[in-house]
Amino acid sequence: MSLIKQLWIAIALVMSLAFGGSLVVSTLSARHYLTQQLTVKNLDNATSLALSLSQLDKDPVEVELQIAAQFDAGHYRLIRLVDPSGQVIAERVNNGPAGGAPEWFIRLVPIAPQAGVAQVQDGWNRFGTLTLESHSRYVYESLWSGMLMLLAWFVAGGALTGLAGTLLIKHITRPLGRVVEQAEAIGGRRFVTTEEPNTAEFRSVVRAMNLLSERVRGMLAEESQRIEQLRRQHQHDELTGLLTRNQFLNQLDTALARDDEQAGGVLAIARLGDLERLNRQLGRPQADRLLQDVALCFDAAVGEHEGWESGRLNGTDFALLACGAQDAGAICRDLRARLDALLDGTAVEPAPRLPMGAAAFTQGEARTHLLARVDGALASAEQTGERALCLADADHEAPRHADLADWRRTLLHALDTHGVQLGEYPVIGSGGELLHHEAPMRLHLDGGWQGAGYFMPWAARLGLLARLDIAVLHAALRKIGETGRALGINVSADSLRDAAFRSELFASLQAHPAQAGHLWIEVPEYGVLRHQAEFRALCLALKPLGCRVGIEHAGRQFSRIGDLHDLGLDYLKVDTSMVRGIDTDTGNQNVLRGLCVVAHAIGLTVIGEGVSNEAEARTLIGLGVDGLTGPGIRGA
Amino acid sequence: MSSTRHSPASSALRRFAWVLCCAGVLSWWIAGVAAPDFDRMQRLAVERYGQRAGETVTAWRALLAEAAETDERTRLERVNTFFNRRIAFDDDIVVWGEQDYWATPLETMGKGAGDCEDFSIAKYMSLLQLGVPAERLRMIYVRARIGGPQSTISQAHMVVGYYATPDAEPLILDNLIGEIRPASRRGDLFPVFSFNSEGLWVGGASTSSADPTTRLSRWRDVLERMRAEGLR
Repeated sequence: MSLIKQLWIAIALVMSLAFGGSLVVSTLSARHYLTQQLTVKNLDNATSLALSLSQLDKDPVEVELQIAAQFDAGHYRLIRLVDPSGQVIAERVNNGPAGGAPEWFIRLVPIAPQAGVAQVQDGWNRFGTLTLESHSRYVYESLWSGMLMLLAWFVAGGALTGLAGTLLIKHITRPLGRVVEQAEAIGGRRFVTTEEPNTAEFRSVVRAMNLLSERVRGMLAEESQRIEQLRRQHQHDELTGLLTRNQFLNQLDTALARDDEQAGGVLAIARLGDLERLNRQLGRPQADRLLQDVALCFDAAVGEHEGWESGRLNGTDFALLACGAQDAGAICRDLRARLDALLDGTAVEPAPRLPMGAAAFTQGEARTHLLARVDGALASAEQTGERALCLADADHEAPRHADLADWRRTLLHALDTHGVQLGEYPVIGSGGELLHHEAPMRLHLDGGWQGAGYFMPWAARLGLLARLDIAVLHAALRKIGETGRALGINVSADSLRDAAFRSELFASLQAHPAQAGHLWIEVPEYGVLRHQAEFRALCLALKPLGCRVGIEHAGRQFSRIGDLHDLGLDYLKVDTSMVRGIDTDTGNQNVLRGLCVVAHAIGLTVIGEGVSNEAEARTLIGLGVDGLTGPGIRGA
Repeated sequence: MSSTRHSPASSALRRFAWVLCCAGVLSWWIAGVAAPDFDRMQRLAVERYGQRAGETVTAWRALLAEAAETDERTRLERVNTFFNRRIAFDDDIVVWGEQDYWATPLETMGKGAGDCEDFSIAKYMSLLQLGVPAERLRMIYVRARIGGPQSTISQAHMVVGYYATPDAEPLILDNLIGEIRPASRRGDLFPVFSFNSEGLWVGGASTSSADPTTRLSRWRDVLERMRAEGLR
């Protein structure tokens, strides 16, 4: 039973005991008092009537009249005069009902006053004995009305006390509600802090929980900072801060395999010539400075673009990977302009050579093939000039659809006609058990079912992602209903910001509570980082609905893991670029090991994405990863 | 009369009220023990008024014991003579320091003095103790003419009347003269009003001594004090 109910029962019990007890006592004492008064009245009236009768001539009519007058003018039940031999001389009786109060009340609280008895004298002789009883009607009346009034007071008092009690209970339990909320949040791995309430007992509980949350938060912040440092040391070039060759190539692999709205893109490589001459002319520190400045240009080109990366492939080669970008020319010209401005500013004569080659790629192209094409373009640029820019020919066929309007028509038509189909890629736990199936979307386009990479970039540009995500959600719920198996679906960053999508999501999940328990909803890491407020609201709203919420493609911003402690997240999918070649990459192993410790501390399940072979899987599990998915993973 | 009916519920309620009040229970219990406690009276007399008073009470007890063997007329004589001889007449203001004080038999015997009410009360109570029914006895307020048949001086007085039968002429037990005479031979007395303890207090019966209204009536008050002294 809840505390509030118990308090209420206690109040009601105390109230009825106090009021009921005082009602009984006051009624009884009133009865006692009234009985006494009635007895005294009987005695006194009998004496005074006997006295006046004693003074009277004992004419029968006069005696009768005297008694009748007293009886009629007063409030009597009985006046009787009996002569010494027992004969009744005169009698007046009012046997009317006691009245004035209900019968049950009279039965419950009877009043039995003593009758008044007095002697009537005729000279020296005895004339008779007078017996007098007052009517008890008015006694019952006053007793009854007194009790009713008390009852009314008690009811009013009870109502008032109840009201005050309610307010008091509300006042007392307001902080209790917050305490319970916080305890449940912590139980749900959301390490929140709340304001300390005024009630001493609650305050110490809340203080303890706040302390716990603060400690967890501090520990997470520290740990995630450490992991981030580890990752930077390992994945970034010491001098320029750009990605190392290994990590850049991992990213490139991931980018080529992507099938979301950022599938496809542009790869550009610039080569700084005459490094030895520069070292000689400028001295080592100045040459390093120049390298750092070039890196800064690449960083600036990456800017705020999500999914773009820059790396230093070797001493002289700098690379830019622009995922999801369509217009290779524009990107390269922008980068070229930045580099030219830098070169113009150097004090070296002749100015350093920095030719650049680039190529656009689509999802699925082999890495070696792409690199060969870019190398070809770079070679042409080196031939062409010191600051030349060469674009490799587009490798793929002509655009499938002429323009955006055409894409919109095609996508909507496919959605309306065929709906979406969901793929099924198993995600297994470390013991080989099935966690869920990833269910990427497929649309029937251009004569066949196409994977997401085929159309997602266009859908993103057309702002159709929310509509597609809703279609996926409905398809997933339907499929869970049919098969009863857990499914994982993606929610794009755009959808996260879409209020209509969010309300549709909540409504659908509320309508299908059974299916919701089998649904895993994941949002890409860059979406989470970019729209933190929306993601936070989404987590808190989805939590009670029973579905699981996670982050996919995690691996670039570990320092922010600490911020996730109060969201109640369920799982974290680590990006392919972290997983690729993990069996040989001790640096990434260290990072992942740390990540698992922190994630487990806040109850997150860690899942490795893009696992391609048995060695990677074994290593990941050894590092503490809880789940695996990817081309090397087959369903249980 | 509905108020005289007693349902189980009401007796339960009443009992509850008694439980709330321990003193009530105690007095009820004491009052319930109904028999004259002469030893107690004797003890109280010695304690309060000294050895002489004790002797008077002893004599009184002997009188009661002896007279019980005789007929009613003799009882009247013995009681009347006992008090008229043993008790000196004096005003309340002298004996008790009060204008009008109704003393119990014990107090009267203790002081060895009293006024007309005190004589009447003592005689009345003694006769009740001797088994004379209360209905044959009356305390009678009379106007007494003092100083011979032609005198115009009169004073308030009280005597005990005894009615052998309901219609009989009463015998008057008075402290002004030693002998008992029938009312017709007491031309100096004019009856005004009479009362007795019928309906109020009958030897052996019990009323609640917790009832504070008894103290407001001199008659009921003195009856109550007698009971406390052991005369029941």
